[in-house]
Amino acid sequence: MSNIKSVTKQPLIDENTKHNYIVVYDDDKEWTVPHDENNRMYQEILEWVAAGNTITDPGA
Amino acid sequence: MALNTLPNAGLTKKGYPSDRITTPIIINGDMSIAQRSTSTASITSAGYHTIDRYQIYLATLGTWTMSQSTDVPTGQGFAKSLKLDCTTADASPSANDEFYLRQKFEGQNLQHLAYGTSSAQSLTLSFWVKCNKATTATCMLQDHDNSKIQVKSYTISSANTWEKKIVTFSGNTSNSLNNDNGLSLDVRWWLDSGSSFTSGTPTGDWEANVNSKKNPDNLALASSTSNEWYITGIQMEVGEFDSTSIPSFRFESIDENLRRCCRYYQDYASFKLWTTALDGNTTTRLGGVFAFNTTMRAAPSVSKTNNTGTIDSQTITDKGYSVFAEKTDRGTTTNVTDIELDSEL
Repeated sequence: MSNIKSVTKQPLIDENTKHNYIVVYDDDKEWTVPHDENNRMYQEILEWVAAGNTITDPGA
Repeated sequence: MALNTLPNAGLTKKGYPSDRITTPIIINGDMSIAQRSTSTASITSAGYHTIDRYQIYLATLGTWTMSQSTDVPTGQGFAKSLKLDCTTADASPSANDEFYLRQKFEGQNLQHLAYGTSSAQSLTLSFWVKCNKATTATCMLQDHDNSKIQVKSYTISSANTWEKKIVTFSGNTSNSLNNDNGLSLDVRWWLDSGSSFTSGTPTGDWEANVNSKKNPDNLALASSTSNEWYITGIQMEVGEFDSTSIPSFRFESIDENLRRCCRYYQDYASFKLWTTALDGNTTTRLGGVFAFNTTMRAAPSVSKTNNTGTIDSQTITDKGYSVFAEKTDRGTTTNVTDIELDSEL
């Protein structure tokens, strides 16, 4: 997988569900990534944040 | 430990003992399924670029074309192989550069190996390989649950010639594999690396995960743009076998093979998920849902082209996907298309 360029939190309509994340990689491909620790792209988001990057939160 | 021998009685027509008819550990061993693409050029980074279930890990070590080739060993029944072709060389990799091909496995599919017990089973890896370089190269298993590796060598005896290789890995009697859908084990073929991965001497048995021991026999495939490497017919059998006792490759039907690949990746390139109006006031609210053709390993990541307006919510599970959107102009095309689902390990 290419490197992450940006991560945006998708607002919730149904509060009983978990947030998804809109991830754009450096090949400009966009993925909707579920908040699921078994998802490898979600793991990449965690590593990206641990490296000092910030998730954009439109609802914040 | 003695090599396994096949009994005279109880053989199936395919040459398997009847008690060994199990689902192959390797998925897409004949390289017949390539949902993403049959050829991808200009590869400089890690990913699942072409043939299903095979990931290349690549860190600043040349530029590559990865393709599904029809160059196969004669008379073995294979129609496709995986080809890696060097298009930009790097003959002097930096110490931490690395390049390998691998397939990853869920722990819950490996419980029959009885790892972590005195009955731990050996694994025999068999594959056909062809390369323009006649040299010794490295393949290995990595246990991600216990941070262990087992490193082996194989020799390409003749350049540009298909050869069948047999490599046996001992069972791990000390550490069990997690019984879940996470990454427990991978099998990998090293293609090139810097000195950080070549300087050590592996024991050939299970040992601590130390980078320096992972690629002692470096194929150095990135050394020249003349280099190319092919592989097909990959099988991993429970037990110890040699070139005469290894069971024949178990060919799967195309639908069986595709179904197994779809647990990890599904492509709906021309499929359109039409979103229908739920009500209509000043805006039109749209919703659409579809169920996956097979349950995926975990909730997948979703890539799509969105023609519905701003998507306000998506629900993704291992079984299906739903989308909700609002649109201010009615009467235009409303759909989500080019859907890809990725639940690879």
